[in-house]
Amino acid sequence: MTREEIIAEINAELAEEFEIDEAAITPDAPIYQTLELDSLSLVDLIGIVQTKYGVLISKTELPNIKTFAQLYDYIEQHQK
Amino acid sequence: MHDVLIIGSGLGGLECGALLAQRGLRVLVLEGSNQPGGCMQSFRRGGLHYDTGLHYVGGLAPGQAMHKAFAQLGLMDLPWQRMDEDFDHVIIGGRHFAFHQGYEAFVEGLAKDFPHQREALQSFVQRLQNITAEDMDVCAYDYLCQTFSDELLLNVVSAAAMKTELRRESLPLFNFAHTCSSYIESSWRLRGDGNLLVNKLIDTIKQAGGEVQTNSRVVRLTEDDGRITKAICADGTTYEAGYFISDIHPAVLCQLLEECPSVRKAFRRRMTSGENTCGMFTAQLCIKPDALRYFGHNVFVYDKPNVWTMTEENDPVKGVMISARVPEDGSEALRQIDLLTPMPWHECQPWTETKVGHRGEDYKDFCRRKAEQCITLAEQYIPDLRSMIETCYTSTPLTYRDYLGSPEGGAFGMRKDCRASMLSFHSVNTPLPNLLLTGQSVILPGIEGVTMTAFETCNKIIQDNAR
Repeated sequence: MTREEIIAEINAELAEEFEIDEAAITPDAPIYQTLELDSLSLVDLIGIVQTKYGVLISKTELPNIKTFAQLYDYIEQHQK
Repeated sequence: MHDVLIIGSGLGGLECGALLAQRGLRVLVLEGSNQPGGCMQSFRRGGLHYDTGLHYVGGLAPGQAMHKAFAQLGLMDLPWQRMDEDFDHVIIGGRHFAFHQGYEAFVEGLAKDFPHQREALQSFVQRLQNITAEDMDVCAYDYLCQTFSDELLLNVVSAAAMKTELRRESLPLFNFAHTCSSYIESSWRLRGDGNLLVNKLIDTIKQAGGEVQTNSRVVRLTEDDGRITKAICADGTTYEAGYFISDIHPAVLCQLLEECPSVRKAFRRRMTSGENTCGMFTAQLCIKPDALRYFGHNVFVYDKPNVWTMTEENDPVKGVMISARVPEDGSEALRQIDLLTPMPWHECQPWTETKVGHRGEDYKDFCRRKAEQCITLAEQYIPDLRSMIETCYTSTPLTYRDYLGSPEGGAFGMRKDCRASMLSFHSVNTPLPNLLLTGQSVILPGIEGVTMTAFETCNKIIQDNAR
């Protein structure tokens, strides 16, 4: 899957699952504020990424993912 | 208006009700069926009480894991009877082993059979006593393989963990250890049925001014301004409360939250897509009077050392737990024995569209055949058991599903996975600050797991109220 395909797919998925406007998702936008994540819904984000791409974001890597661009990078690097 | 409304009267729901009522909160527990207690409920046939999920409890001696919790809940007043010093027996491939109460005795007992594994056994019990949340990420099977070089011993120490779902690839060490450790500390049976425990908790709730209502199935929860405000029952009755606790399966809870805007699809998906643990097949035997002496230990009988794989394909039955019921009249002979074996949901497929009492002759034949297989294995420990049986009642995961509302009849709630602990171990919190979870799907299954979770759930409310 190319980076462009990942971006298109995950953006649509996150907008649908977190019930937000997809236009608000841009590469440099902060994930936590944009998706209105708290500690509970952060787990939902991890679940979506795992279900969709088989990529499990580890507890240690989590703090390094702050923007959507960093999320795309992570999925791209770890997808099977 | 109640302070706390609890949906479901399983052990977790009633424990939360008792703990919060003791704190002076006005508690209402709503049970959808006509009998409270969930997996703790018992039923009466031919003058005898039979249990559904209660067999033995660990760690009830003073200073041990469950004593303080049960004392606080008033449950130490019940007639607990300490089991034999050799509380669990294991028979694998015809060889007989015993687990002894107390960590040192546990090691010494098994070291007699496996002297070359003494250090490994010592390391094992050390680990059991030092389990932390980090062990949610550790694979129990991998840990055991690294610890025990003797494959038979690995199977022996795992054999009594039939009271959880053994899956090599996913079971976290956290769960496995909790399933073992409190029973090694001390093991207890109740002289009487599970309804003693249920009724004691209900009495505690009522004495503190709370209520427990049966036949009150909640079908919808309504949200106002980011909080749950009302529970609406199937008959249209509406109840208001400050806090709501769900003691039902999280996937079933999500059906009640369909009109709540604060619960986003992502949360619903996580709660509804999680896998369920396997269920159990139970043959409950009524034994002829004076035919068999009571024994104060459990016996786990396996055909072969395949403890960790038998659940995947358990037809014909490859392992069985034998649990004797304490004679209530104090006599030396027992009247009841339960035989339990894991039963994956796929074995129920022919009858998933059927209801209790209307499953057809082929289902009855299936249950008879499975019970026969359990009895044959059990006869490795109780020769000629078949001739002692007066009556045999059976239940399957379908029974659990239909009586207890447990999806796929899962005996241990939602499956926990060490490869994705963040996703499979749940917080008691939900997206709605006044809606909390409890019960065996949240963190740990079993009586100990549910009780620990109930305390965690209640602490959230108690801390909130203290602010």
